Amino acid sequence: MITAKVNQNQALKTAKSGRKIRAKNTAIGWSFVTIASLMICLFYFYPMVQALILSFQSGTGANLTFTGLDNYARLLKDPTFLTTVKNTVIYLVIQVPIMIILALFLSVLLNNKTLKYKGLFRTAIFLPCVTSLVAYSVIFKYLFGQDGIINIMLMKLSLISEPIQWLTDPFWAKIAIIVAITWRWTGYNMIFYLSALQNVDESIYEAAKIDGASSIQQFFKITIPMLKPIILFTSITSTIGTLQLFDEVMNITKGGPGNATMTISQYIYNLSFKYTPDFGYAATVSYAIVIMIVIFSIIQFKVAGDKNE
Amino acid sequence: MKKVLALFLVSILLLTACSSGSKDKQASGESKDTKEITVWAWDPNFNIKAMNLAKEAYKSENPDLKIKVVENAQADIVQKLNTSLSSGTTKGLPNIVLIEDYRAQSFLKAYPDMFQELTGSFNPEDFAQYKMAPTSLDGKNYGLPFDTGVTGLYVRTDYLEKAGYKVADLQNIDWNKYIEIGKKVKAATGKVMLTQDPKDLGLIRMMIQSSGAWYLKKDGVTPDLAGNAALKEAFKTYKEILDADLVKPVSDWSQFVAGFNSGDVATVPTGNWITPSIKSEASQSGKWAVVPMPKQSGIASSVNASNLGGSSWYVLNVPGKEKAVDFLAKTFGSNVDFYQTLNKEIGAIGTYKPAAEGEAYKASDDFFGGQKIITDFANWTEQIPQVNYGLHTYAIEDILAVGMQDYLKGKDLDKVLEDAQKQAEEQIK
Repeated sequence: MITAKVNQNQALKTAKSGRKIRAKNTAIGWSFVTIASLMICLFYFYPMVQALILSFQSGTGANLTFTGLDNYARLLKDPTFLTTVKNTVIYLVIQVPIMIILALFLSVLLNNKTLKYKGLFRTAIFLPCVTSLVAYSVIFKYLFGQDGIINIMLMKLSLISEPIQWLTDPFWAKIAIIVAITWRWTGYNMIFYLSALQNVDESIYEAAKIDGASSIQQFFKITIPMLKPIILFTSITSTIGTLQLFDEVMNITKGGPGNATMTISQYIYNLSFKYTPDFGYAATVSYAIVIMIVIFSIIQFKVAGDKNE
Repeated sequence: MKKVLALFLVSILLLTACSSGSKDKQASGESKDTKEITVWAWDPNFNIKAMNLAKEAYKSENPDLKIKVVENAQADIVQKLNTSLSSGTTKGLPNIVLIEDYRAQSFLKAYPDMFQELTGSFNPEDFAQYKMAPTSLDGKNYGLPFDTGVTGLYVRTDYLEKAGYKVADLQNIDWNKYIEIGKKVKAATGKVMLTQDPKDLGLIRMMIQSSGAWYLKKDGVTPDLAGNAALKEAFKTYKEILDADLVKPVSDWSQFVAGFNSGDVATVPTGNWITPSIKSEASQSGKWAVVPMPKQSGIASSVNASNLGGSSWYVLNVPGKEKAVDFLAKTFGSNVDFYQTLNKEIGAIGTYKPAAEGEAYKASDDFFGGQKIITDFANWTEQIPQVNYGLHTYAIEDILAVGMQDYLKGKDLDKVLEDAQKQAEEQIK
């Protein structure tokens, strides 16, 4: 009888201490998470909420007043904003597919088992990604200048008779920007494909070869499906990157001629710093980017995503 | 979910604690006595050098005050001022800052009380009158006028001679005559007349100010684009210059400077602040002259003088402001000798009228074939029509730059200006 009671007490004690330990563990766990969470709240969520509030205000500099949805109404009628959206979408529709295909192609070439000096080639193609955005933009500006090396080379090769106005013609300026961003980001995307390709089981290709599949068939029937999640990932990150495009345009063409190359981000910069500052409207435009990114990402998931998402 | 909410609340608590803390700090800083003042300006060859000369000149007045001159690009200064002033913290801001006249009103109106009033610390009568509109607000002076942006047409005399022109032929011409000369120069030398950056409508600005017109009406707020005769004429002239193939397109400042330093262009129509850059190519000494800016054809009020750029000094409402005001007043505000040094050392022409009596302003310059360019510029300065730049110079200019592209592609000019007017009215409220 007595022993049974003692046993019961002991069982109760261990249960209690077990709960204590668990509580302690939870506390320790939370203390680790709290710092990071607080930081994220402080530096991500708080500014986001503030920006949202700001987007309902308007006025010059520090004289902001609440104007409700006026900024959003103005956004839809603002021809400059619509032009910047158009420009950004043009970059997106032309540049992202070119870059993705190029990166896929290069990664398949570089994944070849029999290729010599693989490391050298991989480094060479990845190298543009470690250069600073501003530095490479400035270099591209001079390459594409009226007296730049691109024009001189084309003229020496007699491909053109007079210099192309790369930076001052609305059409060629867009081309110059697209060339620049493709150069900068192709290697970056290629690295993702290369690492994904290394995880593809060699035996699948072997089996395909035995079945008589050509290398083109292997590429479309095996490589692409196997890389599908990565392709989705890179196209979403590239889309987000393009929607936020700023440094290149700012440094290469300043958005000109007119606003033929201006991006949405650059318009935000202009509204805040180049013109009489209207931070409220600038915040509205930045929320437009957020909304567009969400929409584009949903579309991409729907089009290319897996069913078991 | 509850946990997330709790976390959120805690973080908000933390935030409010942080923000109230910073306010306290700011208040306590003001009582401190400052022995050092900071100045922000751009352009090492011009503004920075001028400020350093002022620093030397002020040593005899108050040797104890340390003056730190910091060079920043103009865009960076604008950005830093905007972010700091709008967030309400004045920490890290300088005491004195240089602001371009086109932007001055937007700062003064957007951040009231952030700038120190300068009324009474200098005599506005002593300065070129056209500088007063941009540097003051509601009848109070906030900026101490610095350099003039008085424009001139810099011309290559050797190229002109090949085409059969003398400098005398270019005195007080209008833009039609300019195009006519340009065609002959091109035929004779193969050189184009000028460089142009399609993103920068400085040429248009110079043209319309010579007629006393601006992007805005006199009130500085209402856009004045459709039905602005001077602006319409300026657009026409711009297109004619391009159609006559007299332009080398450039896309930034360094290409602009390279354009005349390499001898690719026969003329440079711009502000006098370009003089140091023109003279930096010593091999072209004696080949340049400066003539008055062409006026607009068909506009009765147009004169052969205009302005491009130019800036003024502003004192921020931060600790040390009294010392900063004293420093400015005793150098840029009243010191005739200092202006003479300024002129000799860097060729800067201030807008301080008494300085024009000094010797340096009467010197001749061998680089320009012995022309007394400072005297000429000083004379033209007095003729510049005063306009109110108002708040939105660059916002409207970006709208017009798009309109200009449309016009060059063949869109009807009246329609271009009407559309620009509509867009400007939408954007500027």
